[in-house]
Amino acid sequence: MAMDLDEPLDAAAVAEMGEAALQRLCDADPALFLSPSADLAAAARAASRHIYSSLAPLSPAQPPPFPSLLAGPAFDAEQIWSQIELLDRPLLPHLRRQLRRLEQQPPSQPQPPLEKPAVAEREQSEEEDGEGSESEELKEEEEEEELEETDDVEEMGDDYEEEEELDGRERKGVEDKFLKIDEMAEFLDRGDEEEYGGGAKRGEKKAKKNWMESDDEDEEDEDGDEDDEDEDQLDLEDFEDDDEEAEGAGEIMYKDFFEKGHKKEAKKKDGYTKKVQFKDEAHEIEVDGSEDDDDGNDEQVLSTHEKERLKMRAKIEQMEKANLDPSTWTMRGEVTSSNRPKNSALEVDLDFEHNVRPAPVITEEVTASLEEMIKKRIAEGQFDDVEKPSIVPSKAPKEHKELDESKSKKGLAELYEDDYAQKAGLAPAPLSISDELKKEGSALFKRICLKLDALSHFHFAPKPVIEDMSVQANVPALAMEEIAPVAVSDAAMLAPEEIFEGKGDIKEEGELTQAERKRRRANKKRKYAGSHKERPASLQKD
Amino acid sequence: MEVETATAAGSSVEMAVDRPAGPGSVEKPRFDALMPSEMSGGRPQFRKVPVPQHRFAPLKRCWMDIYTPVYEHMKIDIRMNLKAVTCELKFLLAFALAARRVELKTRQDTPDVSNLQKCADFVHAFMLGFDIADAVALLRLDDLYVDSFEIKDVKTLRGEHLSRAIGRLSGKGGKTKFAIENSTRTRIVIADTKIHILGSFVNIKVARDSLCSLILGSPAGKVYSKLRAVSARLAERY
Repeated sequence: MAMDLDEPLDAAAVAEMGEAALQRLCDADPALFLSPSADLAAAARAASRHIYSSLAPLSPAQPPPFPSLLAGPAFDAEQIWSQIELLDRPLLPHLRRQLRRLEQQPPSQPQPPLEKPAVAEREQSEEEDGEGSESEELKEEEEEEELEETDDVEEMGDDYEEEEELDGRERKGVEDKFLKIDEMAEFLDRGDEEEYGGGAKRGEKKAKKNWMESDDEDEEDEDGDEDDEDEDQLDLEDFEDDDEEAEGAGEIMYKDFFEKGHKKEAKKKDGYTKKVQFKDEAHEIEVDGSEDDDDGNDEQVLSTHEKERLKMRAKIEQMEKANLDPSTWTMRGEVTSSNRPKNSALEVDLDFEHNVRPAPVITEEVTASLEEMIKKRIAEGQFDDVEKPSIVPSKAPKEHKELDESKSKKGLAELYEDDYAQKAGLAPAPLSISDELKKEGSALFKRICLKLDALSHFHFAPKPVIEDMSVQANVPALAMEEIAPVAVSDAAMLAPEEIFEGKGDIKEEGELTQAERKRRRANKKRKYAGSHKERPASLQKD
Repeated sequence: MEVETATAAGSSVEMAVDRPAGPGSVEKPRFDALMPSEMSGGRPQFRKVPVPQHRFAPLKRCWMDIYTPVYEHMKIDIRMNLKAVTCELKFLLAFALAARRVELKTRQDTPDVSNLQKCADFVHAFMLGFDIADAVALLRLDDLYVDSFEIKDVKTLRGEHLSRAIGRLSGKGGKTKFAIENSTRTRIVIADTKIHILGSFVNIKVARDSLCSLILGSPAGKVYSKLRAVSARLAERY
């Protein structure tokens, strides 16, 4: 971390410079901030450095992580901002607590003067500073509010500013890195709360509330501190009384403490556990707490056991009340719409089991994947069709006799005749229906085979001989030829014996000799005479 | 009992006498079987079969088919009496007699007594409505019978129910009737409300059962399934 060598080491001079820078920023034309300018930036840095150093002593974490803001030209906005934030983080809640305590404190105590004008200045400068942090602004505003709420605004003056600053420096001498007075005070306060409930700390809180009432000079002295506190408590009502404060330095009476302390505590709210406190008054407050315990308040004299019993009873009452009261409708069993307020089911996050799977969200990827799968399936030809399982017959199909529904061609007598003949063995067994079907089938098949063979010419087989009585036409083979001549055979034609029956050499009419003609005539006459022998004699010619 | 055909055609038969085996025993006479013509005192026997009106024309058409087996094979005289016989009998009887008849008479050379009855049954079957080819089986086989019953014997049906029952019996184009005939080896004639069945005793029973179930209302398919089972059993027997 580079140190700015230009900075004078004197704190007051630094403060002066810082304020001057602030003032310059305030005076600068707002339009100038729109464009980057080096000297404005330098001024802003100086101003923020000044404000940081003023606030650093107020931080609850002592010493602060950065004793002074490192805002040289090498640092950018982010770094400066983080440094400021480091300071602010613990500081803001601390200030808020103080403020709350201040709110609840009765406005009778004299408030120590604050650096209101300086704070006001700072606030203004922060608002106008382009690089100023928001937290610093908020912090300043809170401080401003706190100041305004207290009744001692008018009493603030530069003296207090100085005193605070002085005190801050002296305070640092007591504490070291292990012992932090404020943390110790907080811890003790919390412990007291847990043990005694809210009541024990009332006196302490009253004291803590008024962070402004401290007399810086008396804070160092323990005895003086308690007096101061009491004095401040005493003076809540007439907070504007400076004389009492001045007196408090050396002339403290018993009655100042204990009688008015009662009043003060009576005014206090019950069960107030918060405290507003600055680090300046840490040790003062813890001492005051012990002092307040000795007050003659009835409630604080309760023994530990009684306090526990009180707590337990409170708890019991609370639980009984919860049990007796009718529970919310969500906690009751079955609730119909009439038992609960209107539209209340909408506000409650109902949880019930969905037995339905949520519908799939169809995205483009899903659609694309589906289409891809479809295309692939179509290309492969792999469809998920339902295939019929082929039934393998376990045994041969039983032969069913078909019921003939037509009039039987054979008469009853013939039927019995056939039966008898079959039994006697005279006639062959009649073909059953299956045999007839087989015959028909085989005949059809042979016919088809013949045709196919004729087509192919390669493996020729002659037409099967079917012994049938059929009229054979004595037509020359040429006429009966088919397209494939190979398929036709002469076997079906009439044999020569069938054409002509006779013996000997046959001669034509022209070839016969005279003697053969005579012989022929003579044979004819003989035949004629033989057949007509039996004619009556009257017809015969003489 | 065997029928012994006597060699001698004469009425007188010499008694063959067996010599007695021991002393004091009487000769037992031994008689030959009688010829059919000798029975009933040597007179011929007659059968008369009336012809209903609606069977007259078919009778005229098939007369030779009837005549031939009866006369040639059964050796029974058969003739058709066309003239209406008038007599002084009661009115109803006069109607019966007035119908034309087929008359049958035994001859001298009729071989068997039962031939006449068979021929009478044959002609009667024809008159009932059976075909010649079917009725001839009666001549050839001994154990064929004709059974008749009426629809009202099974169930009393009237009007349309009766018509529907008759329709159920025959089926479309007669297919149910033929199915029964073919599967049970019988012949059935449905004449209005009368039903005649020709066949052997067992087959008649089966056919009758089927017809009765049809009359009672069962559908044809059911009857068919029963028929199939029964016919398979019948076929196995032979």
